[in-house]
Amino acid sequence: MSFAIASSVEEALEALDSGARPIAGGTDLVVGARQGKGGLPESIVAIDRIAELAEIGVADGGLRIGAGVTHARLMTEPAVVDRYTALADAAALVGSPATRNVGTLGGNVMNSSPAMDTGAPLMTFGAVAELRSTSGTRTVALDELWTGPGKNSSQENELCVALVLPDLGERAGSAYVRLEYRRAMEIAVVGAAATVQLDADGNFESARVALTAVAPKIIEVSGIADVVAGKANDDALGALVYAQAAEQATPISDLRAGEEYRRHCVGVMARRAVEAAARRASGETIAVPVNRALGVGANA
Amino acid sequence: MTTTELPIFNRADGPDKVTGTGRYAADISLTGMLAAKFKYAGIAHGKIVKIDTSAASAMPGVFAVLTADDVPDVRYSAVIADRRLFAKDVVRFEGEVVAAVAALTPELAQAAVDSIEVTYEELPAVNDIESALAEGSPLVHDQFDTYGVTDDTRMAANDAYVSTLSFGDAEAALKSADIVVSGRFVADASHAVPIEPRAVVAQWEGNKVTVWTSTQVPFDARNGICETLEMPANRVRVIVPHLGGGFGGKCGFHFEAHIAALAKAARRPVKLVFSRMEEFLAPDRRREGMVIDITTGLNSDGTIVARKAWIALDNGAYCSDSAFFPQMAAMHVLGPYKVPNTHVESHLVYTNHQPSGSVRAPTAPQGCWAVETHTDELANAVDMDPVEFRKLNCVGTGDAGAMGQVYEEIALQECIERAAAAAGYGQDLPENEAIGLAVGWWPSFPGASGSYIKLDGDGSGQIITGAQECGTGAVMTLPYLAAEQLGMQPEDFELVYQDTSAAPYDTGATGSQTLLNNGRAVQEAAIMIAGQLKDLAAEHLEASAGDIVLADGAASVAGSPDRNVTIAALAEIAGGGELLIGHGSGAPPDYPDNAVGATCLGDQGVAAWVGPQFMCHAARVRVDRDTGVARVLNVAAAHDNGTIINMTGATGQIEGGILMGIGQALTEGTQYSDSGKQLNAALLEYKLQTSADAPEISIEFVQINTPGAGPNGAKGLAEAPNVPTAAAVSCAIAKVIGEPVRQLPMTAERVWKTA
Amino acid sequence: MSENTELENLELKVNGVSYPLALEIDRNLSGVLRTEVGLTGTKEGCDDCECGACMVLLDGQPINSCSYLAVQAQGRDITTVEGLIDGDELHPLQRNILAAGGVQCGFCTPGMLMSAQALLERNDSPTEDEIRIGLSGNLCRCTGYAKIVTAVQATAVELRS
Repeated sequence: MSFAIASSVEEALEALDSGARPIAGGTDLVVGARQGKGGLPESIVAIDRIAELAEIGVADGGLRIGAGVTHARLMTEPAVVDRYTALADAAALVGSPATRNVGTLGGNVMNSSPAMDTGAPLMTFGAVAELRSTSGTRTVALDELWTGPGKNSSQENELCVALVLPDLGERAGSAYVRLEYRRAMEIAVVGAAATVQLDADGNFESARVALTAVAPKIIEVSGIADVVAGKANDDALGALVYAQAAEQATPISDLRAGEEYRRHCVGVMARRAVEAAARRASGETIAVPVNRALGVGANA
Repeated sequence: MTTTELPIFNRADGPDKVTGTGRYAADISLTGMLAAKFKYAGIAHGKIVKIDTSAASAMPGVFAVLTADDVPDVRYSAVIADRRLFAKDVVRFEGEVVAAVAALTPELAQAAVDSIEVTYEELPAVNDIESALAEGSPLVHDQFDTYGVTDDTRMAANDAYVSTLSFGDAEAALKSADIVVSGRFVADASHAVPIEPRAVVAQWEGNKVTVWTSTQVPFDARNGICETLEMPANRVRVIVPHLGGGFGGKCGFHFEAHIAALAKAARRPVKLVFSRMEEFLAPDRRREGMVIDITTGLNSDGTIVARKAWIALDNGAYCSDSAFFPQMAAMHVLGPYKVPNTHVESHLVYTNHQPSGSVRAPTAPQGCWAVETHTDELANAVDMDPVEFRKLNCVGTGDAGAMGQVYEEIALQECIERAAAAAGYGQDLPENEAIGLAVGWWPSFPGASGSYIKLDGDGSGQIITGAQECGTGAVMTLPYLAAEQLGMQPEDFELVYQDTSAAPYDTGATGSQTLLNNGRAVQEAAIMIAGQLKDLAAEHLEASAGDIVLADGAASVAGSPDRNVTIAALAEIAGGGELLIGHGSGAPPDYPDNAVGATCLGDQGVAAWVGPQFMCHAARVRVDRDTGVARVLNVAAAHDNGTIINMTGATGQIEGGILMGIGQALTEGTQYSDSGKQLNAALLEYKLQTSADAPEISIEFVQINTPGAGPNGAKGLAEAPNVPTAAAVSCAIAKVIGEPVRQLPMTAERVWKTA
Repeated sequence: MSENTELENLELKVNGVSYPLALEIDRNLSGVLRTEVGLTGTKEGCDDCECGACMVLLDGQPINSCSYLAVQAQGRDITTVEGLIDGDELHPLQRNILAAGGVQCGFCTPGMLMSAQALLERNDSPTEDEIRIGLSGNLCRCTGYAKIVTAVQATAVELRS
């Protein structure tokens, strides 16, 4: 085995070229190895000390978040909390204070689990992943990045260096809500993110909704924009969102929940996410995470 | 709160535990120590065709590889001798040990274990209690008849033990009852989950072995080693370093002999440390799954006239101390109620699951959950408030319970009133909230227990006790009892404990019995020393021994406080030759006059209860109706546990017991695959309550003078708070959604499906 | 950038003391602390970062040391429970958790103390719910958490004054 600590992206990319795998917090990689889900890679490069990866900056009116930014920082960073609140909601729900402290956005995205919490918010923002290798940089849309449970379309020698979030425009709001059986230490049974834009009258102009843990990867609900257009944020709209999300989910039954229950609950989560996102878009402050602020599931 | 000024208890082991210097079994390292790993069956049921350990034995760094062929062929267990250290011929659950390896490092030992090839002829797994009882079910033990069981109570081939309780004529009384309500309740198995996974270290010196182990019951562990390795008790020394929790999961004899045998074969010290998954899969200790059918007849005024019940308990593959469970379960399904006509049939059923064994109040939380949920249905059927219904039907002082035992001085009725009042029962609540209330009971267990006390020449004392500390603080209460008898301070005593070669026998940290039994032994030993001190003081002060008073660290003559001598001075005098040594084994109280009227087959001696404990919990619960997720907002507990000696310790037990109860209510349940293997043997999938989930808890003790209780009127305490919480949560959920959830745990999905 | 194969020579700084070590790369930090470094206060209670018994501070931030590579901790300040005490003087958290009765079996205590310490470092006046969330990565089976929360509240008050 070999281990190296990279102090710059360039050093990390050279290591990847010679076959190393990146490790940031190690929350997925090391836990997986301890549970016998595959040993550690033969060659590891630590990327947690690369200053560039921890940067958050404005890009084209949107936000560029370094892949090494931790969940703990995402949940308190004003630029995220104010404008991309769903991502702060999600980061605040990940694991424990310790996991949030070492776990990174890039690690979460590139682990490509369908149960990842940050994935659905990013998808509803229309975020893209910035992948870099010694031969250059490319950006990939998330629905092209994720290809299945734990699988993505990046090359072995590519490092995710940032997630780039576009400007969401005026009167936009977002929220991420998940089903959890306890108030902490949970993994998403199902979850939903919504990013909405309201018109000048406070009715929906558009919306995007993405779902967690109801398909082999994070999926976006299609047709939501048409469903909500021009409508008010009320129970009737909520019922439509519920139906649309529940219908498009393709959940499995496992020990965390049955297929029927998951399908129902992801509809409920989608409805609640849209409702909270619209309230935020209208200027209301709902604290992060919305699960605890509004009393979802175990926070009832 | 009924409290008087109580001394502050400082944990003797406290500084050690908060600074990180305290040693637990896994922290022990010895020169030349090897690491142990086990080869587990990995399948629920199969015939062993062949075990090939040749590759493992040939690996460099491997010092011993053991199978059933390498240890004495001893069948053992607490009641039904149905198991061996290593599987022989047949494996009966996935976590059964087939072989053990000692090697230089844990990694090498694991590699050696992985190289062991076991060929099985797989047998159908008995994966469900009820089908296990059906005609033609595959048998878990087809040689049961050869196990030498003298008290064979079986009705079906996979029964391990059956208990029936009968009083009056339940059949006839049900026929003539005004209202009859029936219900079926199914509880999943669950786990003790102490945060410390177990560890064992063994080292031989000549023909003697010392074993450091994380057990709640050092003497049981020692006796298990003696029985299985055929050794006399005086050559086996079991020492427990600090124990990282037990909750019953570390009761019984488990892996001490495996490691002792490995150390002997390897001629080196050997250490075993369990992973969390092993802790879930391998020990003979798991809270039993249960199926409960219950039928109750009422008069139209709400009086209970009869109850019939049928119970099946998942014993798993082997019988540990579980033989008394059917009777305990029957008692709990009758509950602390006046029921004049009863008939309960209770089966302990073999399956190809991990064996069941005592986990904090075995059978009680599930039985209480079923009967209390059913009780709310009874109250609804006669349109009575559940609190009023309980006050009408629960036992009070002087009443006879369902077994015919008449209770002297109990405070259940007051517990009901206090819990209801503390919870604000009856107040208006939002439509998604309700308060559920449940009553429970639990016996105190009298048993043999011993202790020595010595006062050294400087007047400092040592209590050398067989008692075992598992975190409850019960052992920390012993210095108080000694000091009280000797006019000294608790800080004047240090404890020597958790060492079978130093101290006399004690049952261990099991059955909430430490204070009850060992407390009595310590008192007796202290009284012996008090007598010695009084004789010495009488001589020194030229008075009669009968006039000597021990107080404030000195002996003085009654009525003449100026004529005194310090206890330290007396100890110094005694140190010159007489020595101050006391011992006690405090005879346990007799069981209540067994004028119990019930017919009781399969009686394991718990038909009448010594020092019965009573409690009532009221839980306020909010349900997210859309998802079925329930959250417990607060719990009000009122307990009759007799006199409270250590208030901090007592409230700590209740708070912890309630949270464990909420876990059982909502999130803790073992799931099995179709082939009988545990699916959620990890803490992410087997969900304990976190600090963020814990509700507000209020506690009241109704302290009364119960005849036959322990020292100063104390009863047992540690298991009681685990009994009624899940039931109270259940009653609250049923009120919100309008229908009881008939499966435990009442997971969000089950609540949603019920609503 | 340094590169090594098999044994990695490195220094770990634990409670202010530097330990020169040669470690295999796949060793987890808790194992190294408990064996090579010789500090067994850090406990191991699960296989999946769920119990928190192994919690230590890395540059003041809590991490599950069971699932953190020891080699990745080089150059950082590691604080274990053994580092809380100041000479013979218990840290206020240690004193208060004993006074409140928040220690029973004690196996979760070291990790719990480390999480509490990190929480109070970043928030000197946490609300009760912030304490409960802050400690939620540390499972305790004995206490029901109430007395632990009380101890953290008392410590916050004490440290502010």
